[in-house]
Amino acid sequence: MHLDPFELHRPATVEETVALARELAGRFDYLAGGTDLLANYKMHLNAKPHLIALDRLAPLRERRLDRIGAMVRLAELERDGAIRSAYPALAEAVDQVATPLVRASATVGGNLLVDTRCFFFNQSYFWRASLGFCLKADGDRCHVVPQKERCYATFSGDLAPALLVLDAEVEIVGPDGRRRIPLASLYDEGGDGIRRHRLAPGEFLAAVTLPEAARRRSSTYAKLRVRPSFDFPELGVAVACRWAGDRLEHLAVATGGLETYPRRWDDVTAPFVGRRASSELFREVGAAIRPRVRPVHNTFLPPDYRKQMTELFVRRALERLAPTSGAAG
Amino acid sequence: MPGARRIRFGLNGHPVEVTAPPERILLDLLRDDLRLTGSKRGCDLGTCGCCTVLVDGRPTLSCLTLVHLVEGREVMTIEGIASPHELHPVQRAFVEHGATQCGFCTPGFILSAVALLRENPQPTRAQIVRAISGNLCRCTGYTKIVEAIEAASRAGGAG
Repeated sequence: MHLDPFELHRPATVEETVALARELAGRFDYLAGGTDLLANYKMHLNAKPHLIALDRLAPLRERRLDRIGAMVRLAELERDGAIRSAYPALAEAVDQVATPLVRASATVGGNLLVDTRCFFFNQSYFWRASLGFCLKADGDRCHVVPQKERCYATFSGDLAPALLVLDAEVEIVGPDGRRRIPLASLYDEGGDGIRRHRLAPGEFLAAVTLPEAARRRSSTYAKLRVRPSFDFPELGVAVACRWAGDRLEHLAVATGGLETYPRRWDDVTAPFVGRRASSELFREVGAAIRPRVRPVHNTFLPPDYRKQMTELFVRRALERLAPTSGAAG
Repeated sequence: MPGARRIRFGLNGHPVEVTAPPERILLDLLRDDLRLTGSKRGCDLGTCGCCTVLVDGRPTLSCLTLVHLVEGREVMTIEGIASPHELHPVQRAFVEHGATQCGFCTPGFILSAVALLRENPQPTRAQIVRAISGNLCRCTGYTKIVEAIEAASRAGGAG
C-alpha cells in the first residue's frame, strides 16, 4: 500500500506548531504515534496534503501522577507502576489497546482522539468505491442508517471511558492560547461520527490532568472484542466508585465503543448513590444503563448483543469493585 | 520526488544516508531500496507484526513508520542481530525448537522476543505470550515459539 505524497512538518516549539496550524488551516492533520492515522492514510481515508508531527514537542512527553502529556506513549504508561496503582481503570484500558507493538508508538492524545470507525468506512478504496463511498469519506450517504445527514461511525478509543470516570481534564493548545476543559466536554454530543470533538481549528491536546480525588476511588475497565489482541472495542465499560463501609458514596460509569462519542452516565447512576452493596444493586445499575445505550450495526458484533453485554459488563465491574466485606447478597 | 530529503540514521550498527520523500515508509525503504527483505510486508496496516524492527531498541512497526521520523535514530532489522559467524541466541533457540514453519512471521517474532529479553531477561510464560501478542503466525505455531523464547531466556539470550 502506498501513501499519497504529503508535506511533513516537525516544529520544535508549541509557538511554531500553532503558527503552522494557522498557516495550513484545513489542509493538515496532526501526527502523534501514527498507528491509526497512517493506517487510514494507506486506505486513502481523508488524507490531507500536510502533516504536522508533534514528536519534537518535549513538554507533551512529560509524565507525572497528576498530569500525563498527550505524546506519552501507551507503552510508557503500561510500565509506570505509580500511575498503574493510582488509576487501575486507566492501566486496564491501556493494557487492552491493540497490541504491544502498537502501544510502543501509540500515544495518550492519539487514543483520546482516535478516529471513529465503521464497517463501511475502514475498508480499501476499491471496496468503498463499489458502494459509492459513504458520508465520512468521499460520498454523500450513510449505509448503516440510510440517509444523508448524519454519520454513525463509532468512537473506538479505550482510554476515554477510563479517564471519564476518573474526572480527567484535558489541556488544549491552539491559535487562541491554552485552555483546560473536562474530558467529557472534548466530545461533541451534538456532533456525529465526522464532527466528533469540540477542538477548534488548529487546536491540539497537550496533556491530561487527573484530580487527587481520582486516586481515592477503586476503578476498573472491561473491553468486549472478538480477539483478545489488536481489536478495537465493540464495547468498553469503565466504572469508578468509593465505598464507606458497604455504602456506595460515589459512582461513575462510562461507556465507549457504542456510539459516536464516549459517554458518562451520571443521570442514570445518581439515584444509586447511598445504597448498600448487594448483587441486587449491581444488577439494577447494569439494567438501568442498558436501555440508554444506542449502538448501531456498524461493527462486528450486532447491536442487541452489545447492549446485553453492556448490562453484564457494568454488573461484573461493580462486583469486582465491591467492598471486601458486606457485599454479599 | 517532491519534498525528498537526505536522511541519516544508523542501520544495523552502520551509518546510512538515504534520499526519501516525506511519505516514504521505513518498511518500503528497507525492502525495496536497501534490499533488506528480512522485514516482511504482511498486513501493511500494523496488525500482524511481520514488519517489526527495533528503533533505538524499541520494537516498532516499520510499516507505520515514516523514514523522516527515524532521522538520527538507530534501526535494527533481523539482518543485523546475528554476529557474522553465529546466530543470535534467540534465532538459535527458534531453530532448535522448530519454531518456524513457513518462516514469514519469524523475523518479527524474533525481534519482539529480543526486545522482551533485553527488558526482562527472565519473563514468565504469560509475559512471553503477552509480548508476542502483536505478532501473528498464520501457521499457528505459537507453542513452539513460546518454548523457543523460554529456552533463549534460560540460555541468557538477550543478546
